[in-house]
Amino acid sequence: MPHFGSAWLQCLVRSHDPNQRRVLDSATRQRRLTRQLEALEKDNFQDDPHASLPQLVKRLPQFDENNESGKRRKKTRGDHFKQRFRKNFQALLEEEDLSVSEGPNYLTACAEPSKLPQRHFCAVCGFPSHYTCVSCGARYCCVRCLGTHHETRCLKWTV
Amino acid sequence: MTTLVLDNGAYTAKIGYSHEKVSVIPNCQFRSKTLRLKTFTANQLDEIKDPSGLFYILPFQKGYLVNWDVQRKVWDHLFGKEMFKVDFADTSIVITEPYFNFTSIQESMNEILFEEYQFQAALRINGGSLSAHRYFQENNSELCCIVVDSGFSFTHIVPYCRGRKMKDGICRINVGGKLLTNHLKEIISYRQLHVMDETYVINQVKEDVCYVSQDFYKDMGIAQLKGEENLVMRDYVLPDFSAIKKGFCKPREEMNFTGKYKTGEQILRLTNERFAVPEMLFHPADIGIQEMGLPEAIVNSINKMPEEMQPHFFKNIILTGGNTLFPGFRDRVYKDVRALAPTEFQVSVLQPQNPICYAWEGGKLLAENPDFEEMVVTREDYEENGHIICEEKFDV
Repeated sequence: MPHFGSAWLQCLVRSHDPNQRRVLDSATRQRRLTRQLEALEKDNFQDDPHASLPQLVKRLPQFDENNESGKRRKKTRGDHFKQRFRKNFQALLEEEDLSVSEGPNYLTACAEPSKLPQRHFCAVCGFPSHYTCVSCGARYCCVRCLGTHHETRCLKWTV
Repeated sequence: MTTLVLDNGAYTAKIGYSHEKVSVIPNCQFRSKTLRLKTFTANQLDEIKDPSGLFYILPFQKGYLVNWDVQRKVWDHLFGKEMFKVDFADTSIVITEPYFNFTSIQESMNEILFEEYQFQAALRINGGSLSAHRYFQENNSELCCIVVDSGFSFTHIVPYCRGRKMKDGICRINVGGKLLTNHLKEIISYRQLHVMDETYVINQVKEDVCYVSQDFYKDMGIAQLKGEENLVMRDYVLPDFSAIKKGFCKPREEMNFTGKYKTGEQILRLTNERFAVPEMLFHPADIGIQEMGLPEAIVNSINKMPEEMQPHFFKNIILTGGNTLFPGFRDRVYKDVRALAPTEFQVSVLQPQNPICYAWEGGKLLAENPDFEEMVVTREDYEENGHIICEEKFDV
């Protein structure tokens, strides 16, 4: 039955009717924002080119190098050294235990929120925006940018 | 006895003997997808013919030194026979560290400098203190100054009075060059071309093409115009590392406003990105970081200081660090601070000739200072007393 068939197909396509579109709550929106900001802190977005290589044979310690120079470097303490000197930033910050210290410290030195009103920019083109996406809270400036937003990023990669 | 001055930054290390010139060298290791099996250290970057998709290994995280493996490899290279050929038994070192550096990192640094490298003497100091020292040397009559250090990881605003930093006034904005480059990569990847892996190339784009706007909304209006009227728009030619070694911005005469270019170059068309990216230093809230921008934080910091000192701080604002090199930076900071400061105070913002090396030059002057011998901790002191003596002597 051809008429019934096309209407059925229409229902499969994600409905653009605002009543039926999924809306994210503010906690989810905040999580998305935090994740975006954390992504900006990354050093690299690709994988280490050496990661997939087979493990190279470790170079044997070359004793003749150490004996020739008059002064010898104190031998580093092997594993203990590596363990101590490879903590990540978060672990080091917690070690500092700043909540119990007095006076200015790393945490109190952080700048406070701004007193000026926040400005909003379209997530698609970057120009000032006046409108917000109903589902995910992203900003847009015109209907064309809203269309691009729905097709590409809206509700994608949601936690 | 020679002195080596090392401004150990998260992006570049500014290093040189106090009687010689400074060298600016990347403070990290690189790996390339084309030249596998080899890890390039620091200035070996020049040997890489094709820096596309370059993988960075940085010893710093959020501005603090966490990865000693990488840092020691870079230092081995810098102190070794290919670079500075340091004679450790006869050398003192002046080395910078970030504000509020963690105790564990300070102790690790003491150990590595004295026990592993065995420097004769060492001085650990904040980069801004060296800049303030340099400023006070040139301006003897001034007692107070406020140092703005906008670098790779973050931006610090630190008031100095009579050579000592005022800890209550230190303000940190978590926006730095790394954030600006990553944000630029993200918006270009969304709007034009996937460049998330190309940190090196986009960093170059940022440095060549971005500027700080003096009137944000006016520039936004101009950027929305079409064709030749859009004075903000620029086309940037991306390097392909065979014919075009280094990217460059096309001059306006050669730009094609209608239709496509005939040649096979890859072009990025940049309009509002040019000034919206550096704008993040002035309004971090634009991107969602709930912190005040640079001019607001400067005024906030000064207002925490005793009232009688405030006019002196406004008169001596110094801009250092790589981010201050954006065209129009100094004028914009002046304009915004002037608008926020009380009318009876005089506002003066200074940007030195070379903001990246300003702290290093302060270190050079400090090494020549007669008081220098009392400020350092010698290796004998450290071996007798341990970390305590460093904690007492160094004001970090």
